[in-house]
Amino acid sequence: MKRGEAGALAVAAVGHVILFGLLSAGFLSKSEPMTLPSHAIDVSLVDDVAMQAAAPSSVEAPAKSIAPDTGAPTDAPPPADAPESQPAPESKAPEPAPAKKPSDTPAPEKPKKPAAEKPEKSRTPERKETSRKPEAPAKTPTKSEGKAKAKPDKPRGSRLGDDFLKGITDSGEGKATTPRAEKMSATVVAGLADAIQRQVQPCANRITNPGPGANEIISKIRIQMNRDGSLAAKPQLRGQSGVNGENRRYSQRVAELAMSAFIACAPYKLPAEYYDVGGQGWKDIILNYKLPG
Amino acid sequence: MDRLWKRIALALVPVAALAAAQPALAQVEVDVVGGISAPMPIAIPAMPTSSPVNTAAGNTTELGKQLAQVITNDLKNSGLFRPLGPDLLRPVSIGQVTAPAFDYWTTTGAQSLVQGYVKANGDGTLTVGCYLYDVFAQNELTRQGFVVQPADWRRAAHKCADTVYSRLTGEGPYFDSRIVYISETGPKDRRIKRLAIMDQDGANHRFLTNGQSIVLTPRFAPNQQTIVYMSYENSRPTIYAYDLSNGRSRRLLSSQHLAFAPHVSPDGRWVVFTMSIGGDADLYRVPISGGTPQRLTNTPGIDTGGSYSPDGSQIVFESDRSGTQQIYVMNADGSNQHRISFGSGRYATPVWSPRGDLIAFTKITGDFRIGVMSPSGGGEKILTQSWGDEGPSWSPNGRVITFFRNSRGSGEPEIWSVDLTGVNQRHIPTPLGGSDPNWGPLRP
Repeated sequence: MKRGEAGALAVAAVGHVILFGLLSAGFLSKSEPMTLPSHAIDVSLVDDVAMQAAAPSSVEAPAKSIAPDTGAPTDAPPPADAPESQPAPESKAPEPAPAKKPSDTPAPEKPKKPAAEKPEKSRTPERKETSRKPEAPAKTPTKSEGKAKAKPDKPRGSRLGDDFLKGITDSGEGKATTPRAEKMSATVVAGLADAIQRQVQPCANRITNPGPGANEIISKIRIQMNRDGSLAAKPQLRGQSGVNGENRRYSQRVAELAMSAFIACAPYKLPAEYYDVGGQGWKDIILNYKLPG
Repeated sequence: MDRLWKRIALALVPVAALAAAQPALAQVEVDVVGGISAPMPIAIPAMPTSSPVNTAAGNTTELGKQLAQVITNDLKNSGLFRPLGPDLLRPVSIGQVTAPAFDYWTTTGAQSLVQGYVKANGDGTLTVGCYLYDVFAQNELTRQGFVVQPADWRRAAHKCADTVYSRLTGEGPYFDSRIVYISETGPKDRRIKRLAIMDQDGANHRFLTNGQSIVLTPRFAPNQQTIVYMSYENSRPTIYAYDLSNGRSRRLLSSQHLAFAPHVSPDGRWVVFTMSIGGDADLYRVPISGGTPQRLTNTPGIDTGGSYSPDGSQIVFESDRSGTQQIYVMNADGSNQHRISFGSGRYATPVWSPRGDLIAFTKITGDFRIGVMSPSGGGEKILTQSWGDEGPSWSPNGRVITFFRNSRGSGEPEIWSVDLTGVNQRHIPTPLGGSDPNWGPLRP
């Protein structure tokens, strides 16, 4: 080896060492080099595609088939076997969160009995009719099997497992061990909206149209709720669209009717853990109301 | 070195962006579409009284029930409500008037609730309280109190019904108003025609003239007290003004020419009418106090049936200048005359809605029917499908039209009303035959 070469090699070696050191130091000095979203986001599935495509499809793909072909689709047994005793089989409303994360502190709210669910069955939002079966208590695997069989056409039907509850709550045995999300997922937001819509629908359906053209008005109303599902304040009109010279005389009345319908169906049964999630949740919601036609 | 950091930073940008893109989620928004097109169920229990007192209009206990019944009938006649009247509901106590038992009212299916009370005052007047509640929301929507003479108790009920109607429909009130019309009786060759007046529901009917002269086309002035009409008095048909406050008539024109079809301007200052001179009938106007007529149209043929727009700036009328009866509009001074009706058939007796948005007319296509169109002539809509409907006149809120109906084979015309949907038609009962109804303004 020539001297020159050796020298060059030494310089190169030293150079690399220095470079390595620098790079290492550089990365180490960055406290969070890659702030990958480490705060977990709970994922829960809705049993129907909500009004807006809120659920990322990637969520669905990897789910395992929990109850693929298990035996006869014994029809969902009467809710008697459910420890939570959620009797109202027709209840369209999401169960009020019997679900608590095991890792969570025990919820202050007891699971509400949905027994007081409104008796009107007529509401049934049309588009949900097919997919929305009478809700079964979430804890019975047999039920979910039954459910899975009940809708074979749904590609993701067989994935609906223990933790499937109304599409918006997590079950007690939830597989997620991650801490509660700081924010609600789009799916939860959509599911909440869905649940509220189903509960207010029977009252909205009794609203009488005040006059021609009133059905063109869409009223945006802010509603603040208490934890018990009652209203925390008088609903406030936030704006209206579709008002024209012809139907202007009905605009105030339409807004009133919307508020009146919402009040009439209170209290609402909604999952307590989503009452106030980082400023979101159903504590403070927007109602967009329109007469049909 | 710097470049190195830059690179690292650049490499991290997308990651950071990804993290930032994590759900910036919106508020929970609930979209609800719901409702029905049907008359609104509304409960109207009898109005309680704090102490039963006999008044000129009867005992206040009985009066409370009658008040509720009048309100019930008014709301029902509007076609927009399905009232549960006092006969179907349990009575309420005086204390419940301001604190309704909503739990009970919810079970009745009523969406709204009208409660009130009646109280006899020391000075002989009556106080009627009127409260409107939303049963769903369990809150009060409005309240009104009316002090009336016992003889005017029905007006208190109409006022209460108007309050409810306006509050719940967004439309203007119209129940506390009157209709003047021509009462007819007797064989064709000796027909007796009298000026008569009644409440819009047919109550409080009375005759204003004695029937010695034939009278036609009565029209209210905005002041509620004056009625202009055409009379054959002195065998020379011309226009008179009747004063309701003293029951006297006065002749409006000194001219000997045939004059008919009067209509008072919205400001009450002018009367537009038709005068026929040598077979040529044209529109004129004259101050309501009388004076010299001013000519507004000057075309061959018949121009008649003038009716002011609610702002007084225009006049709609019928004319056969084109060869058939059609509807024309002009400025109040007679300028800018132009035709607005172009449909098949003939058009007669146009009247401008007090709301300004429509003109009602009689359409003649073999049958006589009531229709409406916009002041520019578009959007023609025929509201009645009968054989002989004519002479429309608007309710004070421009939502209902009264007219008279001749039935085939029947000698007696009847007074009817129809709303703008054409669906809700009702007969307004009169003691004898009735024609030429004119719906007066809302009473103060």
